[in-house]
Amino acid sequence: MKGSYLGELEELVLLHVGILYPNAYGVAVMDEIEKQAGRSLNISAVHSVLTRLEEKGLLKSRMSDPTEERGGRRKRIFLLTAAGKRSLEEANDMRTQLYNQIPKVALQFRLA
Amino acid sequence: MKTVRPPYWADRFLTWYCRSDRLEEIQGDAHELFARKAQQNLTLARLQFIWNVLRFFRLRNIRKTDTHYSNNTFTMFYNYLLIGFRNAVRNGLTSLINVGGLAIGTGMAITIFIFADQWFHTDDFHANRDRIYEITNVVNRDSTLVTLSDTPLLLGPMLMEDASSIDKMTRIEVGNGALRYGDLVFFERLWFVDPAFFEIFTFNHAGVPSNALESPKSIVLTKPLAEKYFGDKDPIGQSVSIKFQNNVSAEFTVTAVADLPANNTLHFNMIISMAFFQDLKLKDQYDWAYLTDATFVLMKPGQSAESLLPLMAKYKKLQNESSPDWPITDFKIFSIPQITANSEDIESYMMGSGQPQGIFTMSVIAFLLLLLACFNYTNISVATITTRLKEIGIRKVVGGRKSEIVSQFIVENVLMCSFAVIAGLILSYLFLSPGLVAMVGYPIPFAFSSGKMMLLFFAGILIFTVGVSGVYPAIYVSGFQPVQILKGKEKFGQRSAFSRVLLTMQFVLAFMTIVGCFLFIDNSLYLRKKDWGYDHHQNIVVPVNSREQYLKLRDKISTRTDIAQFAGTEHHIGMGAERAVLDSQGKKFEMLGFEVGYDYMETLNLRLTSGRFLSSSMPSDSVASVVVNETFVREMGWQQPLHQFFMFKDRQRQVVGVVKDFHHDDFYMGIRPALFSVAPERDFRYLAMKTHGDEAVRIESELRTIWREISVDDPYRGIIQDDVFYNFNKNNRNDMSIISSVAVTTLILACLGLFGLVSYNITRRLREFSVRKVFGANTLQIFRLMNKDYVWILSVAFIIGAPAGYFLMNELIHSIYPDPQPAGALPFATAIAMMIVTVAATVGSQMNRVVKENPANTLRSE
Repeated sequence: MKGSYLGELEELVLLHVGILYPNAYGVAVMDEIEKQAGRSLNISAVHSVLTRLEEKGLLKSRMSDPTEERGGRRKRIFLLTAAGKRSLEEANDMRTQLYNQIPKVALQFRLA
Repeated sequence: MKTVRPPYWADRFLTWYCRSDRLEEIQGDAHELFARKAQQNLTLARLQFIWNVLRFFRLRNIRKTDTHYSNNTFTMFYNYLLIGFRNAVRNGLTSLINVGGLAIGTGMAITIFIFADQWFHTDDFHANRDRIYEITNVVNRDSTLVTLSDTPLLLGPMLMEDASSIDKMTRIEVGNGALRYGDLVFFERLWFVDPAFFEIFTFNHAGVPSNALESPKSIVLTKPLAEKYFGDKDPIGQSVSIKFQNNVSAEFTVTAVADLPANNTLHFNMIISMAFFQDLKLKDQYDWAYLTDATFVLMKPGQSAESLLPLMAKYKKLQNESSPDWPITDFKIFSIPQITANSEDIESYMMGSGQPQGIFTMSVIAFLLLLLACFNYTNISVATITTRLKEIGIRKVVGGRKSEIVSQFIVENVLMCSFAVIAGLILSYLFLSPGLVAMVGYPIPFAFSSGKMMLLFFAGILIFTVGVSGVYPAIYVSGFQPVQILKGKEKFGQRSAFSRVLLTMQFVLAFMTIVGCFLFIDNSLYLRKKDWGYDHHQNIVVPVNSREQYLKLRDKISTRTDIAQFAGTEHHIGMGAERAVLDSQGKKFEMLGFEVGYDYMETLNLRLTSGRFLSSSMPSDSVASVVVNETFVREMGWQQPLHQFFMFKDRQRQVVGVVKDFHHDDFYMGIRPALFSVAPERDFRYLAMKTHGDEAVRIESELRTIWREISVDDPYRGIIQDDVFYNFNKNNRNDMSIISSVAVTTLILACLGLFGLVSYNITRRLREFSVRKVFGANTLQIFRLMNKDYVWILSVAFIIGAPAGYFLMNELIHSIYPDPQPAGALPFATAIAMMIVTVAATVGSQMNRVVKENPANTLRSE
């Protein structure tokens, strides 16, 4: 299906939304990615990936309760959907499967 | 702690552009990041905030301007385009013919338009063009008023003195001389102009500063000339010498090289100062009788040229007193736009591009071709719409209004026309324009005179093609009743009267152009082999610069056995004669005067009809005898021309012989009355010779070598008499190739249209023909059935188109050539034959389909 393909950044963001459950919102995802993967992204990039994933149906979102910080503005909290979970699993499975198919020899590095 | 705030304007900007449902989270995130960063560094935090706001500025975050209505106009248009495109692809061949035909039409139109546009904007680049005027003479010649570019040499300076409204003035005197640089020496045309020339006519962008002629010793060359002499070397500052007509030589310094733009019509070769011309003293004194080639003035800003008119009475008097033989009627003042449009009305014009007939004809033809292509389109569209009846019916049933159906078809048509215009542009750029350039022989830049002109043109051509080709089918088709269509009752595709009329018109146009073209070609061919009035194939003429050169050359050739006869002469047929006036019984006549040596007329093989040639054995011939041509006799109204007397150059002359009319100039000029009198040897400027047999070409090349022994300073300028009208023949050939390509294009267009229509109709009637075949119809019967319509239409088209084409082209030919061939039946016969052959081929190729088709294939329905 067109659009079902998961991009590298999309996968990364999807994973982090999962990790941060139930507090995944823009800044948190950005910070977590920087912490875990060492990649510093612009907040707008994170937002656009999140919106795209939501449009694809891999994420759903709701607005949080307002808090004191951010001038009383609410956050948009993202959650994985079933489809999102499945596509993460698929990506994971495929990677493992493919990795297991690599002949052992190819992975043995020796100084010849 | 003091609360820190992000930059106010950035925040406002974010609020302004961001869509409302996203604003809260985005603004929240941005503020959060700002607050965090602000604890470390406020400035950085502000910068980061601004950066983030800018980065959030993406299409998906931007608020939509119109969120209340979502209308489906765009979707509908998209649908129209899609359906149009699918239809075009489904009827591939027909669409290709449609677009191809239109592309040829628009390509032609684009090419010709650019040509005409350039033509009408020649000399646009002069900064002062609004203030430049040319002063011309009007003379009464045989009771017709003729405007002459030639004006008295003294007029310009006197105008400067008398009229305070004139800013600057320049005259142009055309001369020639042998230009020498090192070992290179060629005979070149040159202009003497007043130093203000380059201030009046600005050639700054062509590389000539306005002060280029400040020093009387400066010379301005054109780029081709500079390249000829200097090659890659920088000519500026180099010194060249010119040897003038009177054998005076002088040194000049090159001050500028002019890279003349393509739309310049002041075709100079090299320019030196007028001051030098007066020093040359070609004449003892220059009075009002001496005419220079052109006088231009630059008016002061805000002054009109009309202010000069009152002064003219005085000049008219001065001029008429000094040259009573050449009374002028008036002076006439032309602005540059007037010159551009009417230069052919000014005899021996210096500025302007001459006859507009060519451009005019080509424009008319291009327009007709475009019209033809549009009719093709209309015809084929109307025919092909039959296959789309159901679609239209459904559209109407589900609520499509008539105007919507019309707009659908117009949109499709716009799409096709746009394709055609783009294809036409490519066609024009790649083939037609280069072709035209190759034919006319001078560069035409593939550009419009201005951006506005380009926009107007493309908008115009699109609207025109859409209007002519698309509006009728759209309206036609939208008028049907959906119930009728869906019930299958609408009888459609039976060709309507309109369709017949259109096809007829198409062929009328085709016949018009084809008959016209053949008429033109026929005439051109005729002119090419037309008798010149004398036998020129064996003649060579060599211009000489002095009596000494003449004598030397004469000595060299007089011993040769391959030269049958030779003669010196002052004027030579085909190279200009003297304009002279004679007096007969108190009446003045203007004619061409040829002053020739003895034997000249025999050498040129002029044909004597009565009397005798001028002869050295008759002592009186040198002063009193003349030979005239037949036109001369006719104009004088003599029954018995021999021994008639008249006054010429203050002497009594007697006619001793009459020669047949001959062409003294190319066929653009008519035959004029001419007279031959004897010139003394010291005035000879040409040596004409006649060779034995067909050896003119070989001997001419030998003369080139011989010439080097005679003069090193003067270049060799001899030519074979056959080549005297080289330019005319070249133009003639060009005209023929242009016209024949037009004829071919017309034919192709008409046949494309016919092909499309026939092939479509056959597809539609394939079942009918199959049924007929099953019942035993033979090929001939089917053929007749198919062609009955077309034959009828073709005949009507021929009856209307052929005479119209004949009439128009005849007018044109007569306006170009004073002396054309009387039109015969040949063009008509050729046109008919060509039409029949091509139409038969077109229809025949389709016929093949019907004949080969197995009726079983078409009639089997499941």
